[in-house]
Amino acid sequence: MDCIRCGLCNVCPVFRVEKLESVSPRGKIIVSKSIDSRIARDFFKCSVCGLCEVVCPVNLKLTEFWEKKREELFEKKLAPLPIHKKLREMTFRDFNPYGGRQEKRAEWLEFPVEKSRTLYFAGCTASYRLQNMAKASATALKELGIEFTVLGPEEYCCGSPFLRTGQKDIGRFLFEKNIRAWQKAGVEEIITSCPGCYKTISQDYPRFARELGYSFEFEVKHVSMIFSKLAKGKLGFKATYHDPCHLGRHMGIYEEPRDAIRRCGIKLVEMERNREFALCCGAGGGLRSQFKEISIAICEERIREALSTGTDILITSCPFCEYNFTRTGKGRIKVFDLSEIVCMTLFP
Amino acid sequence: MLVKDSFSRFGTVEDHPEVLKIYCYDFTLIPRIFSRFIKRPIIVVQPRSAEDVAEIMRICERHEIPIVPRGAGTSAYGGATPLKSCVVMDFKRMCNFEIRDGELVAQSGAVWIEMERELNRNGEALRVYPTSANVSTVGGWIAQGGYGIGSLRYGSIAENLKWLEIVDFEGIRIVKGEEMRYYVGTFGCLGIITRACIKTRKNEPINCRAVHCSFEEAISMLEGGYHASFKNSKYLSLEGFGAKDVLLICSEKGDGDETGKMMWGRRLIPLRIASKGKRIFPEVILPHENAVKFYEYAERISEGLEVVFAKDCAVFIAALGNGYRNMLKALKIVKIAEKLGGRVYARGMLFSSSYGKDISDYKKRIDPKNLLNPGKMGWNVFSMSIGLLGKLIWTA
Repeated sequence: MDCIRCGLCNVCPVFRVEKLESVSPRGKIIVSKSIDSRIARDFFKCSVCGLCEVVCPVNLKLTEFWEKKREELFEKKLAPLPIHKKLREMTFRDFNPYGGRQEKRAEWLEFPVEKSRTLYFAGCTASYRLQNMAKASATALKELGIEFTVLGPEEYCCGSPFLRTGQKDIGRFLFEKNIRAWQKAGVEEIITSCPGCYKTISQDYPRFARELGYSFEFEVKHVSMIFSKLAKGKLGFKATYHDPCHLGRHMGIYEEPRDAIRRCGIKLVEMERNREFALCCGAGGGLRSQFKEISIAICEERIREALSTGTDILITSCPFCEYNFTRTGKGRIKVFDLSEIVCMTLFP
Repeated sequence: MLVKDSFSRFGTVEDHPEVLKIYCYDFTLIPRIFSRFIKRPIIVVQPRSAEDVAEIMRICERHEIPIVPRGAGTSAYGGATPLKSCVVMDFKRMCNFEIRDGELVAQSGAVWIEMERELNRNGEALRVYPTSANVSTVGGWIAQGGYGIGSLRYGSIAENLKWLEIVDFEGIRIVKGEEMRYYVGTFGCLGIITRACIKTRKNEPINCRAVHCSFEEAISMLEGGYHASFKNSKYLSLEGFGAKDVLLICSEKGDGDETGKMMWGRRLIPLRIASKGKRIFPEVILPHENAVKFYEYAERISEGLEVVFAKDCAVFIAALGNGYRNMLKALKIVKIAEKLGGRVYARGMLFSSSYGKDISDYKKRIDPKNLLNPGKMGWNVFSMSIGLLGKLIWTA
């Protein structure tokens, strides 16, 4: 890693909370060749948000570096950390990190769906924790004329929480479960409302497919790509938008959610840090599960920034962000998923 | 363990041998043959108050342990690089600030951009701040004596301080006026900055224009400006932009244009040209009257040139390649600047021998055991080598 040690990566939200160079991107690069269990723990104090990569003047591929390093730590048995390990065990058992029963995976679905070439992949958080999001996404897609199917008990965790924490083996295992189910169902197009799933299926799955000898010819879309073209309404209120890291910095989707919000007739007010410079909500990369205090502190800062725009309505497009904002905000800020906003225009 | 016990009551301490390595570095590029002169700290302490700092200093004085203060570690002059086994006093936990009756009082570890955001919410703004404002700290930039955004109208940070709170071996005190010169630009060698009262301005919108012009023409266009920087075509092409020299001129009144707005929007994203390979960036300050003459020379020798204008001087940032040959070139640039009445931007570890007698005498009086950032005032192996090489270059 050809780091020039300029320290500009110290914009890192975790570093701003922890204030120790051992968790700063620059610091971690310096110690990356001599990792023990203490340093390994610090390597997981990172939401893999990718802000360090955006500000790095020498364009180091830092997101990739953190993930590779975490894989290395996993191979050296310095990881997973305790809670990540618990989630891993649960997922090997239940195919999701929440311990939800597989037959209840599509319990949120309120209308029948037929077989289709298009799959709505709800993901674990929307299936078991934020069912409002899965319901809203499916309803909005249906009302906007998108035909799709849902695989329910044949949908498995995409593996994102594990791939982001260096556990490639379980990622591969879940990839195979999912791809077989998709092939069996004749799926050609996958729509998801979760940026973690979107990134994993778009970026990691083709790599796994090559490694494991599967063909991967699925068209993968995030719901915002559809809403940006089809949503319309006159909601009229003011709101701000939070860029989820996996959707924005990792996948380059910045304008589609904004277009959708505007098409819904909302007056969009930007936070000071937006698009590629947006502050992470603090939930990703296994941070919220293992280091909750850090995650909450980061989220508090983002909530303050959102409220300083003069609105208390925050729209995001990620279940992790929504969960963290709602839990941390405790009523100070109203948090909506983009699909819920689109639903508001459909059922005023 | 004993050392850890002594310091842990003052806040967070760090003594992991590998992690301590991180505190050996700031942004300074250290040639491999010199790396053995950099020493690993014994411990890193993060004090929370001036009282903690005073107490840590008392312990260090008693046991004759050197102290190296550290802000964000973004300086390229080695100010935070330990040259002796030491206690690193890391100020990141002293990061509070308050805005009271139009006054900004900040602890040493406060980050510039966080203060600017809060000031803006109160209709105020910083007068000057560094281009590394997103990460750099109050204490670090003052200790370096920086110039930056807004220096065209308001000058260096030295001119925008009302008072400083200093801790030295005699205790905690407030210094004002002329006495502040001992602490601004002296890298904590004479006392540790723990708080600063910083002047602010009314948050008038900044309007920016980008003007294609020569450097000479640029100098004549600075009147009434708040901030101005000039980039030559070579520098711009390294940044991936157009191929004409351009002056960014910003003011609190007047009109702006789209390119100006875009350039202003990128003011806090420095060093982008580093992506084109590792570089050395010598920085020198020239009085306005000799700036054109120096520019002609520096333009020939460098791969790109950026000039930030201040009230009565211009800060030249030359982009050079990497390697020993370019290090010599950098020295040549410094020497020419000195010949034209200029000076190196900051002294730090690399140019530590160039302080005046007044400052050196004060150091002997206030820090007779040379415990405050040792090696950063007077000669060290780096400044000695640079001095010798400089002489050789000049003779040649």
